[in-house]
Amino acid sequence: MDFALTEEQQLVRASVREFCEKYVDPIAEEVDRVPRFPEENMRRIADQDWCGIPYPAEYGGAGADYLTYTIALEELSRSCAATGFTLECHTSLASFPLFKFGTEEQKQKWLVPLCKGEMLGCFAVTEPGAGTDVAAGSSTAVLDGDTYVLNGSKMFISNSPVAGVFIIFASTDKSAGPKGLSAFLVPAGTPGLTVGKHLDKMGIRGALTAEVVMNDCRVPKENLLGAEGSGFKIAMATFDVGRVGIAAQALGIAQAAVDEAVAYSKERVQFGKPISALQAIQWMLAEMATDVAAARHLTYHAAWCYDQGLPLSAPAAMAKLFASAAAVRAADHAVQIHGGYGYIKRHKVERLYRDAKITEIYEGTSEVMKMVIAGSLLR
Amino acid sequence: MLRIITCYKWAIDEADIRSGADGSLNLSHVTYKISDYDRNALEEAVVLAETMEGTVTAMTVGPPTAKGSLKDVLSRGADQAAFVSDPSFADLEPSQTSALLAKAIERQAEYDLILCGEGSSDLYAQHVGPALAEHLDIPCLTYVHKLTYDEARGVIVAERKLDREVEVVVSPLPALVTVLPDIGTPRIPTLKQVLGAAKKPVEELSLDAVGPLPPPLLETKSVQAATMERKHQRFGAGQDDIRSVVVALLREGVIS
Repeated sequence: MDFALTEEQQLVRASVREFCEKYVDPIAEEVDRVPRFPEENMRRIADQDWCGIPYPAEYGGAGADYLTYTIALEELSRSCAATGFTLECHTSLASFPLFKFGTEEQKQKWLVPLCKGEMLGCFAVTEPGAGTDVAAGSSTAVLDGDTYVLNGSKMFISNSPVAGVFIIFASTDKSAGPKGLSAFLVPAGTPGLTVGKHLDKMGIRGALTAEVVMNDCRVPKENLLGAEGSGFKIAMATFDVGRVGIAAQALGIAQAAVDEAVAYSKERVQFGKPISALQAIQWMLAEMATDVAAARHLTYHAAWCYDQGLPLSAPAAMAKLFASAAAVRAADHAVQIHGGYGYIKRHKVERLYRDAKITEIYEGTSEVMKMVIAGSLLR
Repeated sequence: MLRIITCYKWAIDEADIRSGADGSLNLSHVTYKISDYDRNALEEAVVLAETMEGTVTAMTVGPPTAKGSLKDVLSRGADQAAFVSDPSFADLEPSQTSALLAKAIERQAEYDLILCGEGSSDLYAQHVGPALAEHLDIPCLTYVHKLTYDEARGVIVAERKLDREVEVVVSPLPALVTVLPDIGTPRIPTLKQVLGAAKKPVEELSLDAVGPLPPPLLETKSVQAATMERKHQRFGAGQDDIRSVVVALLREGVIS
């Protein structure tokens, strides 16, 4: 079994790391504190050809594999989870449905500018009353002549304040339950589409998340993504792919926690020696490092499954379940190792602790991950 | 059309070097990188080639492990690479490196300009550039922090950053220039550049093509980690203390 990354994958990791040291690290604390959207870095990320990493060149992508994309997300998140997440939301949640289910015209019109980073995308399925229970959504889409009329509201939609296109899910047939859900491409600025206030989040505060409201919002028939009624399938397929991205984000956070904790433990002297000499600290570091290694293997394996065209649901769920828990544990240990300083703003571990938690919740909670994994075992 | 060759070294990443208490060096965990100022030379070559229409060939001499540098250097804008390699090239000293590079360059098609870093990031001997220019019998311009090509006159105009002044020098081509990091900031390779590297041509030259390996002119006796002896002199802020500070600085030759 060859675990070696290709030269290209190693070079990509090195170039993303260099990018982060130069542009992302210096503003990460400010992005979290203000908070502000790292707009200038998202533009630089587009210039580096990183906005469509796993999509083919004919659609403006870089034509690389999903593992390369995973590595890029990991390194970005290691410096700033908000930046990593913004890219993941754009590439996995918004671009993937277009890539997999869009017509050629839709791909040329929407996927190309998304992959080139000319605009950002967002994915709107969650509603105030429909989180894990996707099918409980109450948004509707009614065909009226040549347009669909969308009504409803969405919650926790990341990238919505800056997105150029929204992938919005609404029911075209309430009586069919989940099989009545459909997906629509809605350009920003469409009359009837409004984005609410930014939500004031615990972590990943530089990422923009808001409510989205559709009030008699009309979209042309051609903007239906996939067939009517295929929305649920589109959402589930997209979540599988997105989960690998979130696992990568969690992996980056966990790795950052290890980096910070190791460095601090060598500097902090108590009782006449660095605390890294104490077994209690060494055991925490060992557990963190092992967690990170396991998370890395699961995450890279899930990315590999995508690239090989193998079934993705269970590997992606396992990767996200484990990596997110590893991130939360590692961030917790890192704060503990920093002692009082870990509790003070401007220390990176304080931000890591707040950033880590969301990885156990969005794009499918850890409970949902267990449902998926159990489902694959008990089929 | 400007035909540029940039020479680079696959050098030890000094951040990985650990030292023992006795000053001995521990190189067991080192990774390698393109030497810092060679990256500046390559970036300058690429910028010139972009603005003036030209080609860039990146060239290195090293043991077979230096093969790991090729995709890296090609992802940074070189159009092609030349790799002069033999297991005996593990610890070359500058006179050998420059002799081998000269032979390899003479085998190549004609060139207009050779760019090198002012010195390598590990040893910074600053020998290879000037020695290579001597072998090739071409003008050598060192400490260059700004370079322009005057196509009409067929000359390069170089600003050399010296201790107390900047010297502007004009040279006909072909010429060799060694560059300082001030000359420009190397871009971070884009993903398309990284993926495109595999498609660019690489010429591998063995010792037979450029040999024999000339004997070294230098013998390295030892390499030790630098130590800083702390003088542990403490001063207060009173009038007498200020005088003692001045006396101490005079004695150390820090002020005169």
